Amino acid sequence: MRVRTKWKASRRLAGLGLALASLAAAPVQAQGPGVDPEAARILKRMTDYVGGLQQFGVDTSNTVEVVLHSGQKIQFTSAAKSTVQRPNKLYAARVGDVVSQSFYYDGRTLTLVNPEDGVYATVAAPDTLDAMIDFARDAVDVIAPAGDLITTDAYTRLMADTSSGFVVGKSFIDGVRCDHLAFRGDGIDWQIWIEDGARALPRKYVITTLALGGAPQFEISMRNWTLTPDVSARQFEFTPPPGARQIEFLPVGNAGAPR
Amino acid sequence: MMTMSKVAAYAASIAVLLSVGVAPESPLRLQLLPEAHAIVGAPLTPVSVAGVARRTTRRTVAVASTTTATQSSAQAATAQQQSATAQQQSATAQQQSATAQQQAAATPQPAAASTAAAGALPLGTVVPALPAGCTQVAQGGVQYSKCGANYYRAVFQGNNLVYVTAQP
Repeated sequence: MRVRTKWKASRRLAGLGLALASLAAAPVQAQGPGVDPEAARILKRMTDYVGGLQQFGVDTSNTVEVVLHSGQKIQFTSAAKSTVQRPNKLYAARVGDVVSQSFYYDGRTLTLVNPEDGVYATVAAPDTLDAMIDFARDAVDVIAPAGDLITTDAYTRLMADTSSGFVVGKSFIDGVRCDHLAFRGDGIDWQIWIEDGARALPRKYVITTLALGGAPQFEISMRNWTLTPDVSARQFEFTPPPGARQIEFLPVGNAGAPR
Repeated sequence: MMTMSKVAAYAASIAVLLSVGVAPESPLRLQLLPEAHAIVGAPLTPVSVAGVARRTTRRTVAVASTTTATQSSAQAATAQQQSATAQQQSATAQQQSATAQQQAAATPQPAAASTAAAGALPLGTVVPALPAGCTQVAQGGVQYSKCGANYYRAVFQGNNLVYVTAQP
């Protein structure tokens, strides 16, 4: 897999009729030469907006296509509910095709739980959401739900290897009017649909991996955004249920026995 | 062990190539596709895309094969660990040779059957599901599944619950 693409950083917040809105006018940076400035502006407005939300909840539905030897493509779908409180809390519960899984991050540790298997693993984690997301991926290969769209530096992450992009036009997702943007990177095409109203929220995101035969896609739909989620501490703190067994994470790059 | 029935349902051994880029909200059923349907590739996802760029070494790919309950004996289970590396340089020690993912996928797991009878697996072999006929053994506060000649312990490999051979 030769695909390389980075999704990088910038931050600022803009918002929702707040006085902070002026920040949205901050210069758009790090955009590839082929990126239509309007597409960059809309994208950055979203990342600034989401990056500036101190808390939110969102329901996601993910579809992943895999390509079989025969060339046949198969889709897998899972749904998750996520709650985020900045700077350092995240809870997500996923119901997937076979296995349900919960993800807890309380600012100190992250825990992965498979309730039906009665197992969980906990590891010390960095104390900010952004750092935790990188850590989870790099250290234990755990992918935090909605990871890339919620970091405060999402714009830079997204645009790092993006060479071109344009505004496709208006589109309705779940009845909400959105701007539809299309970008192209190194072996990757990606599209995003962003609400065009006061709440610049992402509603849909599609990644097409050109480097693989069959060009499989990953798609995430986001709905039921709430800016007033339940953020009580117990949301984010994992308490092992009776009988649950603690296991370990296999270190990244090592399929061998854990120490 | 809840996956056991599913595993047993396949008449042939299961060999799955989990692509390195596989999924955030990863579709765990990937691990249970029959060998004939081994996966060639799955799309990159936002975070894993970034991961490819950032890491020098992606997690090695676990190719595991598990014979089914239909193969009688308690030894029934075998697994063979191969590793594929997304990037040339990554080769991990304990694992069998790294090959480019496509290559591995293209060579339809010939070794799976031949090593099936070997019994004891190298320590650190990762399988997506336990074979049949395991008994639970607790030692030093850790729970193992003893399956034939091998002891397994449950671990998370990324978001996936897998089993790795270990020495209690």
